[in-house]
Amino acid sequence: MGREVSESCIDSLLTEMVSTYCNRFYANKPELAARRIEAIGYQVGHQLSERYTMERPRFSDHLEAIKFICKDFWFELFKKQIDNLKTNHRGTFVLQDNRFRWLTTMSIEQPPENGTSEELSIAADNKALQSMHLYFPCGIIRGALSNLGIPCAVSADISNLPACSFVVRIKA
Amino acid sequence: MQFFGGSEISPSPPVPTATGNNAHMMYIFNRNGVCLLYREWNRPLHTLNPQQDHKLMFGLLFSLKSLTAKMDPTNAEKGNLGIPQLPGQGCSFHSFRTNTYKLSFMETPSGIKFILITNPRTGDLRETLKYIYNLYVEYVAKNALYTPGTLIKCELFNTALDQYVRSIA
Repeated sequence: MGREVSESCIDSLLTEMVSTYCNRFYANKPELAARRIEAIGYQVGHQLSERYTMERPRFSDHLEAIKFICKDFWFELFKKQIDNLKTNHRGTFVLQDNRFRWLTTMSIEQPPENGTSEELSIAADNKALQSMHLYFPCGIIRGALSNLGIPCAVSADISNLPACSFVVRIKA
Repeated sequence: MQFFGGSEISPSPPVPTATGNNAHMMYIFNRNGVCLLYREWNRPLHTLNPQQDHKLMFGLLFSLKSLTAKMDPTNAEKGNLGIPQLPGQGCSFHSFRTNTYKLSFMETPSGIKFILITNPRTGDLRETLKYIYNLYVEYVAKNALYTPGTLIKCELFNTALDQYVRSIA
């Protein structure tokens, strides 16, 4: 539905957004930058969930809503579904995407084991920047779920790239 | 025009990969002459130190491009040298061959130069270089962690490049 836009444009826009917030607006204040990026994601998720649930009936419970996020919502956004969903049946869900689209082109050279301190700090910086890029999708998930009436907190985990896990904790 | 701007540090010494590779080595330069990538798969003879090697290569290609454009007998109207041109447009030099190796070259409109050195029996590598340019766009230009104009240190690009080069005839 609607008009289309090139994927490269979206990728470049997101990269530039994270870079601007981290290096220009809130340089040296990564927590504030992260909060702003997540807030932008929240707005986007809010509006997208409105659009993609237009013809559907209300969700019967939390699990149905999470399944909607994993299947239809993720498919609309990234042309694939979430690969793995785990839950502890007490309000925590782990959504795992084995090849998260926005992380596929990001890579850095691993520093050698006995690298200089400068190399190691550059590697740490790169890792931090990589995790900054995940605040936006976390915000999208949080915005989508809260529009469906489910307040929650979302965090991301990239311990094994290119797979990426989003941990959703529903507020009681 | 600034030729050798940017850092004077050459790319880190190349790691020789497994045998069975068809290519000897590869260079990527940007518009200012900075060597963004130098990868070596099979190079028994090193004549110069890396610094001089890169400078020589860049200078050679610049002169060759200029010479071939000036000696073109067919084109009546001559464009300015140095304007962005698609690969294949205008008069563009693309390879030379000696009895021991073949050097293939491609320059993109943004000034990124790809040089691939292979054995002399290799055919036309223009499509190959175009594919490598696509890999560059995907894994380097679109990489949020890469700063343009610096050495390419992207694991995904290196892996994809090694894999692809291993498969060219």
